[in-house]
Amino acid sequence: MSGTKRPLSNDPALLVHAYLDNELDPPNALAVARQIDADPALAAEARRIDALRSVLRDRLPPEPISPQLRKRIDAAIGPSRHASRLSAQPSWGALAASVVVAMALASGSTWLAVNPASNNKVRVAVVDSHIRALMAPQPADVASSDRHTVKPWFNGRIAGSPRVVELATDGFPLIGGRVDVVGTTPVPTLVYGRRKHLISLTAVQDGAGADAPAAQSINGYNLLGWRDDQTTYWAVSDLNAAELETFAQKFRAAP
Amino acid sequence: MAVDGNQAKLEALVAPYLADALSLARWISGDRTDAEDIVQDACLRAFRGLAGYHGGSARAWVLTIVRNTAYSWLGKNRVPMLVAVDDLDPKSHEEVERGGNSFGSPPNTPEAEMIAKADAGRLEAAIAALPDEFRETLVLRDIQGLEYREISQVMATPVGTVMSRLARARRRLIETIGNGSL
Repeated sequence: MSGTKRPLSNDPALLVHAYLDNELDPPNALAVARQIDADPALAAEARRIDALRSVLRDRLPPEPISPQLRKRIDAAIGPSRHASRLSAQPSWGALAASVVVAMALASGSTWLAVNPASNNKVRVAVVDSHIRALMAPQPADVASSDRHTVKPWFNGRIAGSPRVVELATDGFPLIGGRVDVVGTTPVPTLVYGRRKHLISLTAVQDGAGADAPAAQSINGYNLLGWRDDQTTYWAVSDLNAAELETFAQKFRAAP
Repeated sequence: MAVDGNQAKLEALVAPYLADALSLARWISGDRTDAEDIVQDACLRAFRGLAGYHGGSARAWVLTIVRNTAYSWLGKNRVPMLVAVDDLDPKSHEEVERGGNSFGSPPNTPEAEMIAKADAGRLEAAIAALPDEFRETLVLRDIQGLEYREISQVMATPVGTVMSRLARARRRLIETIGNGSL
């Protein structure tokens, strides 16, 4: 939240943008919300801006980079062109394939090649679970926006207790939780909302040996994985990749 | 080992944002092939400039390099007339840079429902028609999802100016959609 300290402007026509972008601190946000309530013209403008924001995100998502570009970058950074500095070093591609660096990779399916097959089962399982949840009457078995309700619900249903954070102030309200099955293992899944989209966040305890997750798209759903200590997190949603990445960042950054 | 560490560091910093980098380069250059050249150049610059990264938003750091690379690339490879055309009159320009706002009475105000129906082609054309600084601000916020503070970093401009440019860019898009002139 950037401009919360400095008085950016007193103009409601400007502040309504910062309000919709979650860039105001709570007192200022409240003040703008009241102005919107009191002024039909401002309320109409807020609806237009919000419609524009949604339509831009949904219709113009960033495209994944092509394997060709990826190769060009590898070649540019790799040993051939910078022999003096990098003579003994592998290129990015070789590095990724040999060490299988446990880092978040770029969006799109471009990077799938460096991921061994073991994660593919998990990917398919979490996407399937997400789709099943969308078809079910309720996407969550415990429906609550309170993490103190959701977290204890998992006791006795799965081994261990998942990390549950509330991200409503970041625009990702907690909706609830459910237990999914990956292979034969029950795993905790949290459900978050974003406008009319649902995000399923599955936590798989797989020890330190797992390979690096990557972002990709499966059957039209965006899938984003990342590792945190002994856990691999998988976020699935029909939300665009950029906002899913924002969600992942907020989740990781939450206390 | 130091170089090894540098490669891993570069991978961690840059790799998650390559798609964002390509997207920004394409919006600035208006051309996909040029954008790929720009991203490749930017990755090299990022590698050489690793020491300049001191924490903070890696995405903003990467996109700052992409933006700078894009403009120097365009300066080298394009005729000057195509670069940095700003169709604002001097008074409006000053107003925007101050972080101010003088919309006047909006001539075309379509309903939110009409905006929600705008298709990708029309939106792309409307964004392409924006002045450079408005377009970049809008793309960084509404397509790439950066926070105002990150945009301020990437564009080296105060947060107030970011807000003002964003408001104007969105207003123009709304009016363009309302015009139905695309």
